[in-house]
Amino acid sequence: MENTKTEEIIREFITVNLLVEQKDLLFSDHESLIDSGIIDSFGIMALLGFLEEKFAIKVDGADLLPENFDSIITISSMVGQIVNRQSEA
Amino acid sequence: MDFSYTDEQLDLRDSIIKFSGQELNDDLAEHDKNGRFPMDKWKKCADMQIMALPFPEEYGGHGANFLTTVLSYNALAYACKDAGLVHAIGTQILCGFQILHFGSDRQKQDFLPLVCSGEKIFAQAITEPDSGSDALSMRTKAEKAADGRYVLNGTKMFITNGPIADVVVVFALTDPAKKTLGGISCFIVEKEFAGFGRSKPLEKMGLKTLQNGELVFEDCHVPPTHLLGREGQGALIFNESMELERCFLPAAHLGTMERVTEKCVRYVNERNAFGHTIGKFQAVAHKIAQMKVNIELGKLMLHKAAALKDQKKRASLEASIGKLFISECLKKTCLDAVQIHGGYGFMTEYEIERDLRDSIAATIYSGTSEMQYNMISKMMGL
Repeated sequence: MENTKTEEIIREFITVNLLVEQKDLLFSDHESLIDSGIIDSFGIMALLGFLEEKFAIKVDGADLLPENFDSIITISSMVGQIVNRQSEA
Repeated sequence: MDFSYTDEQLDLRDSIIKFSGQELNDDLAEHDKNGRFPMDKWKKCADMQIMALPFPEEYGGHGANFLTTVLSYNALAYACKDAGLVHAIGTQILCGFQILHFGSDRQKQDFLPLVCSGEKIFAQAITEPDSGSDALSMRTKAEKAADGRYVLNGTKMFITNGPIADVVVVFALTDPAKKTLGGISCFIVEKEFAGFGRSKPLEKMGLKTLQNGELVFEDCHVPPTHLLGREGQGALIFNESMELERCFLPAAHLGTMERVTEKCVRYVNERNAFGHTIGKFQAVAHKIAQMKVNIELGKLMLHKAAALKDQKKRASLEASIGKLFISECLKKTCLDAVQIHGGYGFMTEYEIERDLRDSIAATIYSGTSEMQYNMISKMMGL
């Protein structure tokens, strides 16, 4: 799956599901979602469920690192790495 | 969908029920009255290898899947009337899961055999005097010293198994400047570490045999080899741990509900009033019918969550719904059981009042019912 498409899908999920009262909030793909408060520990729970179902991946303990969820870019990158790893297995 | 159990699961369930009924219920009234932990019963459960069930064989475990472990834990709570002992065993297993999923190879080798054998008692320390539901606003700090060790300072409260723990999985702030994600880490602290202190057990209204207490860290030095997972990974480990806990501990609640419901059925079929057994009164029968409804619905939710975990899938929503529903039903079942038994239900000799006292904590630990409602509503997009 192309990275830009993955990023769009992730952005849409975050905007619709995690920014319930701030849907017009602008943030770049590189912006820290954690530092800006867009994602908190609950948001990660919801995001994980979405990522695993949408991209048919399993996010293991080794992938559950804060830096992997810091921005849309890093989330997309993590998804790509897991997809590749699963397809090679 | 096939909801039937395998022959192996049924055999395991039967053997645990038989063992528990025979070995775990004597002296309970005495232990409950005095708040004494039944160490002899703990060792019997360890010999029965109950704590070892879900862990890989290379660590002394049985390699059982999560559903089988849930069913076994349910069987234990059904036949063992000591909910405190059952909860202590549950905590042991949950600590084992944390090490299994996030530990280094060395940590798994060092600690999982001890989890499985019950030789060491494990606890997990998250809650503090000023942070319960808002667990991640903890204040216990872990500062890295020049030699690479972490120095822990702070206090944890209400810690299950705390007063008797040999090993504690401790959550602490490693970077207070960061928000919760990235700022909290997880450590394996052994009781021998200097600066680690355990209080005497707190007196509680229920689960009296379970030992809960305060843990104090005063310049407690923890070697870097005892960091669980990566630095800053604590909040994510916490999330995963809570999801598993909510998929697992309610199995015990269901076991208690089943036992209490059966007790009610026996009583109302024997007790007479106004010319017939009181089970014929709708006011009584409907209460017991509701108990049955709650048990069956609770089982479906519990089993769905367990099946998802065995498929390596996320079960956050199912875990919250199951925990909320089952724990609230447990309290209701026990309260109705007291009412159904009338004056006898109020007497300690009949043991139902103990089940009720034990049940009250179920809607508090692993995230209160209010927190479960919050999470469910957030997951619905509210």
